[in-house]
Amino acid sequence: MGRRAFTWISRIAVGVALLGMATAPAFAGGFGIFEHGSRAMGMAGAFTAQADDPSAMFHNVGGLAFLDEQELQVGVTLISQTQAELQGANPFPGEGTFAEQESTIFYPPHAYWVQPISPTLNFGFSFNTPFGLATEWENPDTFPGRYISYEAELRVLDLGANLGWKGTPDFGIGFGIIARASDVALKRRIPGQNPFTFQTVDIADVDLDSDFEWGFGGQIGILHRYNNSFSWGLSYRSSMEVDYAGDAAFTQISTGNPQFDAAVAASLPVGQNVPVTTSIDFPDMASLGAAIALGPTSTLEVDVNWTGWSSFETLVIDFDDQVEQMTAIEDVVRREGWDDAYNYRIGFNYGFGNSELRLGYVYDETPQPERAVGPLLPDADRSGFTIGYGFQGARMNTDLALMYLPFDTREVDESMNDFFGTYDITAWLFGVTLGWK
Amino acid sequence: MTTRTTIACSLVLALALVPMATFGQNVDTGSADFSKYVALGDSLTAGFASGGLVETYQRVSYPALINERVKGPDTPFQQPLVSEPGIPPLLRLQSLAPLVIAPQQGQGNPLNLNLPRPYDNLAVPGARVGDVLEVRTDGLFKLVLRPQALPFSMLEQGLALNPTFVTLWIGSNDVLGAATSGIVIDGVTLTPRAAFAQDLQTVAGAIAQSGAGMAIATIADVTTIPFVNTIPPVVVDPATNQPVLVDGQPVPLIGPAGPLTADDKVLLSASQALAQGIGIPAALGGTGQPLDDTHVLNAAEISAVQARTRALNQVIRDVAQQTDAALVDVAAVFDLVAREGIEVGGIEYNTEFLTGGVFSYDGVHATQFGYAFVANLFIEAINEKFGATIPLVDLSDFVFGSDRQVPEGFTAAEAAQAMYTPEAHQQLWEVLRIPPKERLLELKRRRGERPEGPDLQGPDGRSPAPRQIGSIR
Repeated sequence: MGRRAFTWISRIAVGVALLGMATAPAFAGGFGIFEHGSRAMGMAGAFTAQADDPSAMFHNVGGLAFLDEQELQVGVTLISQTQAELQGANPFPGEGTFAEQESTIFYPPHAYWVQPISPTLNFGFSFNTPFGLATEWENPDTFPGRYISYEAELRVLDLGANLGWKGTPDFGIGFGIIARASDVALKRRIPGQNPFTFQTVDIADVDLDSDFEWGFGGQIGILHRYNNSFSWGLSYRSSMEVDYAGDAAFTQISTGNPQFDAAVAASLPVGQNVPVTTSIDFPDMASLGAAIALGPTSTLEVDVNWTGWSSFETLVIDFDDQVEQMTAIEDVVRREGWDDAYNYRIGFNYGFGNSELRLGYVYDETPQPERAVGPLLPDADRSGFTIGYGFQGARMNTDLALMYLPFDTREVDESMNDFFGTYDITAWLFGVTLGWK
Repeated sequence: MTTRTTIACSLVLALALVPMATFGQNVDTGSADFSKYVALGDSLTAGFASGGLVETYQRVSYPALINERVKGPDTPFQQPLVSEPGIPPLLRLQSLAPLVIAPQQGQGNPLNLNLPRPYDNLAVPGARVGDVLEVRTDGLFKLVLRPQALPFSMLEQGLALNPTFVTLWIGSNDVLGAATSGIVIDGVTLTPRAAFAQDLQTVAGAIAQSGAGMAIATIADVTTIPFVNTIPPVVVDPATNQPVLVDGQPVPLIGPAGPLTADDKVLLSASQALAQGIGIPAALGGTGQPLDDTHVLNAAEISAVQARTRALNQVIRDVAQQTDAALVDVAAVFDLVAREGIEVGGIEYNTEFLTGGVFSYDGVHATQFGYAFVANLFIEAINEKFGATIPLVDLSDFVFGSDRQVPEGFTAAEAAQAMYTPEAHQQLWEVLRIPPKERLLELKRRRGERPEGPDLQGPDGRSPAPRQIGSIR
């Protein structure tokens, strides 16, 4: 690859990295995102046993051992929720309540760079966003879940430095260290009982924003190409804890009653940036896959992925103790109690000439127990149907993928926030990845 | 029959079936029969709030809400409705700073006095369990039971309606008088357990014998209500609303037996006396005189009330089991509300006065939200016991709805009054049918300071002899 082209590509990579600051909704179970390479995405992410492009550094770092050319890959997945709505139920927010999330397009990026060091050792740099959360409900002034959350964002950016070593011509093992940068934001309303009417009214808006904080972890993967017709792979990425520090800004909302407003003003840290901390234990993940050649140019792969979501047990938002003593502000403690979860992926690709056609299906279990489902994150089991296309040029290749992702209807009859209803979510994802050798 | 005729007949039949199909979607009440639903109880069943009985609250009393969920909003549920501003007139929050709660001007009128049969909601504010069996003419019994036209007890009137289902929530006033008067005298402000058990068994037994299904509720710990818990037992700086510290320590108020301890409770009714400096040491600008005994519930009295409440609740649980009734464990849920609060969609409800969302201005009775919440407790218990699927009440109407439309603004003269006016306290005292203060104090002197007395003596010395149930059928 020429120096000039590489400089240009580097600029693209930097631009993509900046795009990474944009958030993305969770489209793998929980608040995971699994679409970090359009070739793999076309096969519904069933790629652990193939891992034969730079996105191996996300799907199975063992595949890095087999990449024997300098290579750069950049891409983005456009995610559009075509439906994200709540139908309320009694006792609260009540039958007939209907709410929708803002329709926004998200674009989590990915980028990989492979640099061979020796015939059996490769170095790779990876950049992706394996987790993310974005929920934003329309009409925050009237959305009945606004006291829990009307806007939440979790942004995650993984930077990885990886090594792949080919122990034998058929067996590769890879390692990587990952630096995870993340920030979190939450907006909600604070309710108050107007003593003149015994009516619940909004007395303040609170906007919590953390700084970007870092967590560190690693990954390992193996890929065994047993013969020309069969390969298998196993990968593991460690859990990572990120401790966040930030500020909470309280903005008082007038209720129209000067006496009540005065009492509210005396009880809240209005106009102050209150120090706040929280922490998230990001789960570890493991994937096992097997790929079999169905013909000279066609491959079928089946993967099972496990995610240790039980690490997400409690979410604590801890306000500064001094402010707590002087005001009515209290820490928020949410007993999430998530479960470990699996997803099952099957992918097929068929090559013809310089092109490949791909199909896939994924069934993704939600780790979120019913009682924890709510406006902050209404997760559900889901099925993803994918189709993909790839073109291999002389120095450049292009991969495209489309995923239709309908979530199962999630009915909430048991809720830790006493917030009941039915959530329906459908999304379309479009991925494009460009690669240069 | 021609094809055309057949189609026409089918269409007519289909159209005729539309309302039937709608009717068929009626609520599944399982093995409970709600074709005639009657509610017996006290103020909590009547929809009493903020010191009065008024239509806006009565229409959302928990029995009215249950009836509405079972039969739809158009099915009448007869209650002794009262026009604004209620009987007695409802209390009103006149000012937050200074805090002033006083009765409204005027008095409401009965709106349903000529109903030619007993009401479906026969609950009488102030009723104790023994009163369900008696023909009474005092207090609000006159309004609800109309003894001049229907000289029968609450139970007799209820059974005369041939009920198929009865809700019974009674017993709160059998302990409440002690908590709100600060005077604990067994047999006077506390109903002895044995008398309570005998009367409740008589009431529930008669209902069960009539063949009606039944739901019975336990009673809440009345020592956790805002009336008892709002004023701390220490001197508070009115400017900061924080305890006054001397040598870093809060200064206890002066009670009838000396400085109060942290375990003593000062009743809301003491607010005017405190505003006059009574109960506050002279060194801190007070009069140095002790608070009246009726304004303080000391630790021993609290223990006595709580012990009696537990005993009465055990009776209620036993009776529910004996009569195969659904048990609505209000006591357990209310303990949670008092201890931790409950959350509804991110909104916390607790027992805080004025801001907790559960208690109205009298610090004793519920808000509309509180009653709707209770309705759901009943519905859940009925659904479980009788295999019903009665839908729960939509709480959002009560979360975001307004209990009272209070006129904006208030006069300086109103603001100059004490926080919980003597009129407000007197009104509550009368509704709860607590004996006059002087008599209570005299009784207490005669019996000594012992809060617990003999268990077999009934209120006002009444003997717990078995009651005879009359009939107006």
